Amino acid sequence: MREYFLQTRELSIGYRSGARKSLPWKVSPHPVAKIIAEDIELELGAGELICLLGPNGSGKSTLMRTLAGVQKPLGGSVLLKGSDVGRLHPKETAKLLSLVLTERVTTGNMSVYALVALGRYPYTGWMGKLAPEDEVIVRHAIETTGTSRFAHRHIGDLSDGERQKVMIARAIAQDTPIILLDEPTAHLDLPNRLEIIRLLKTLAMEQRKAVVLSTHELDLALQAADRIWLMNPSGGSASAMVSAIPESLVLDGHLEHAFTRNGFEFDSHSGSFRFRHEGGHPVGLIGEGVPAYWTQRALERAGYRVVHGASDIRHVEIETRNGKRNWMYVSGEGCQPVEKGSLDELLLLVSESQNEGKA
Amino acid sequence: MAIASSQPNSPAHPWPSLVPKTGMIVTLLFVLLLLFMLDIALGSVHIPLKSVVAILFGNETGQVAWEKIVMTIRLPKALTAVIAGSALSVSGLQMQTLFRNPLAGPSVLGISAGASLGVAVVMLASGGAANAFAIRQLGLGGSWLIVLAATAGAMAVLLVVLGVAVRIRDNVVLLIVGIMVGNITVSIISIWQYFSAPEEIQDYLIWTFGSLGGVFGSQLAVLAGVVTVGLLISFSTSKPLNVLLLGENYARSLGMGTFSTRMFVILATSLLAGSVTGFCGPIGFIGIAVPHLARSILNTSDHRFLMPSSALMGAILMLACDIIAQMPGTQTTLPINAVTALIGSPVVIWVIVRQKNLRASFS
Repeated sequence: MREYFLQTRELSIGYRSGARKSLPWKVSPHPVAKIIAEDIELELGAGELICLLGPNGSGKSTLMRTLAGVQKPLGGSVLLKGSDVGRLHPKETAKLLSLVLTERVTTGNMSVYALVALGRYPYTGWMGKLAPEDEVIVRHAIETTGTSRFAHRHIGDLSDGERQKVMIARAIAQDTPIILLDEPTAHLDLPNRLEIIRLLKTLAMEQRKAVVLSTHELDLALQAADRIWLMNPSGGSASAMVSAIPESLVLDGHLEHAFTRNGFEFDSHSGSFRFRHEGGHPVGLIGEGVPAYWTQRALERAGYRVVHGASDIRHVEIETRNGKRNWMYVSGEGCQPVEKGSLDELLLLVSESQNEGKA
Repeated sequence: MAIASSQPNSPAHPWPSLVPKTGMIVTLLFVLLLLFMLDIALGSVHIPLKSVVAILFGNETGQVAWEKIVMTIRLPKALTAVIAGSALSVSGLQMQTLFRNPLAGPSVLGISAGASLGVAVVMLASGGAANAFAIRQLGLGGSWLIVLAATAGAMAVLLVVLGVAVRIRDNVVLLIVGIMVGNITVSIISIWQYFSAPEEIQDYLIWTFGSLGGVFGSQLAVLAGVVTVGLLISFSTSKPLNVLLLGENYARSLGMGTFSTRMFVILATSLLAGSVTGFCGPIGFIGIAVPHLARSILNTSDHRFLMPSSALMGAILMLACDIIAQMPGTQTTLPINAVTALIGSPVVIWVIVRQKNLRASFS
């Protein structure tokens, strides 16, 4: 049998809201509980990268907090390497599980090196003095995350991307089998987002850590995660979670169900969200491959409904001659085609002819 | 410390040391010693430094008056300045870190206000003229009654705050509660003042000016003992305070006991600020300003170094303020509380504006 770093057994998460209301003259034996999700059965093993997905308010943070032992579960249990997180001493939990939170660390006067060194807190003595082994671990964490360039700099002087890497370095220095990250890619630009995900993927694969990150980056999650934990897939008031590999979540329609709203649709082909284009005036499109795809995107964005292969209505035909791409626009049956050399000229032309038609 | 022996293993990026300028502590100790001597030497009667050293080491100088001045007045006062300065600075440092607020100081938990209330109770509401007369007979600053009243007041407010701290987990809420309890206390005092005789109010006002000169003999021993205990507790909170800089959630995730840390910090602060306020009156500015000075000069956020250097800088600043308050060469002395703010604030503004890292420390 596989050894799991983290397991949940019949876990239900949420808030006890009745506890404070139990005044002496108003004793309520069972405090009212708001259950966010129940019957959660999750398993997390070495070398796994998990993305925790779910719409805003679906309870991602609550689950994270419950897994980390910061918040008490409403029922069931969270096991860290076999022991109940609720019974572990905070010091022992700190040796099993490290956190990277969304809150911004604002202590500007602290150097990156000193901050990463704080990851050794559970292992050092009462004065927090680092042993030589601790320093080796701290330096290794800094090198792994590629932050040695600015190890001497102050936290306050770092960019958001650099700061996030430093916080991950701190978690690595804590030397725990499990790392939980709450939206580590929020506020970052695309290259930084990719870099963080790649770093976490490497951590899971090379150092055999179990990494769980909550994120809204659906496309990144689909590409990188070994497994996706999806909150509240049925959209009901309280329900179990789904844990599956990304591809089967797409095929089973779970992702679509969880995220689809009016006006958006989940494109199962690309694994990303698109505006839903309903109605609009029909425009025929004749062409193939990448140019046709982006021409369709441009037309849809401008509010037209693209009909493939239709040449009996007004339509666009893509032609490639001598390596040069041209768009031929025919505004109606029997009309002369107008040739345009770029997509934005084409869009302008289509909308002008649309307005003429109205007038 | 072994940390200092960090070997650069790549020449391009030598690993930064966790130990700030180590020579700084030595320099501070030297400055402290110098100012300590100067504080004893200067005053309405000028005593040469050479004689001060001789008297302190128990040698004969042939000047009985000087010996008497040094041993019974100026030495206790200088010692009180050192004790008060370091106690207020260290408790200010802890408050600023615990509440993550650059304006926090030893007085934020209402401790000074509580002490003031205690003193106000004794001075303003002593019932009859006979009582008030008796207290005045005891001598203001040196009166045990005043000290006990101040300590009791500080403890009372502190118990309220502790009671809240047990129930409320949020430090920001605790900070606001502390400030509000302080406000309530101050308003009780002003109502009391409103209905009191002018001479009683005057006595109280003089106490609020602060004084380093009223602590002698057994009182000095008690003050020194309490402050030593407070400083030891404070130093033991260095490690948890360092992770608390990352925020409470990170601190908890690293295994720090939030409750015990908070209780130790509040206990240490009440011992430090409560006892100093009791013996010397409410001395402002030092507790807020010195931690900023220490951070600026050492350029670190590590409490293992900030604690001792804050204690040293607090003592130095307090001695400097006391020297100025004595107005060397004249017969007048200024109230110490006025000097700490008047002379100290511009110094701190200058240091902080020049170093531009006050914001870096907190935001």
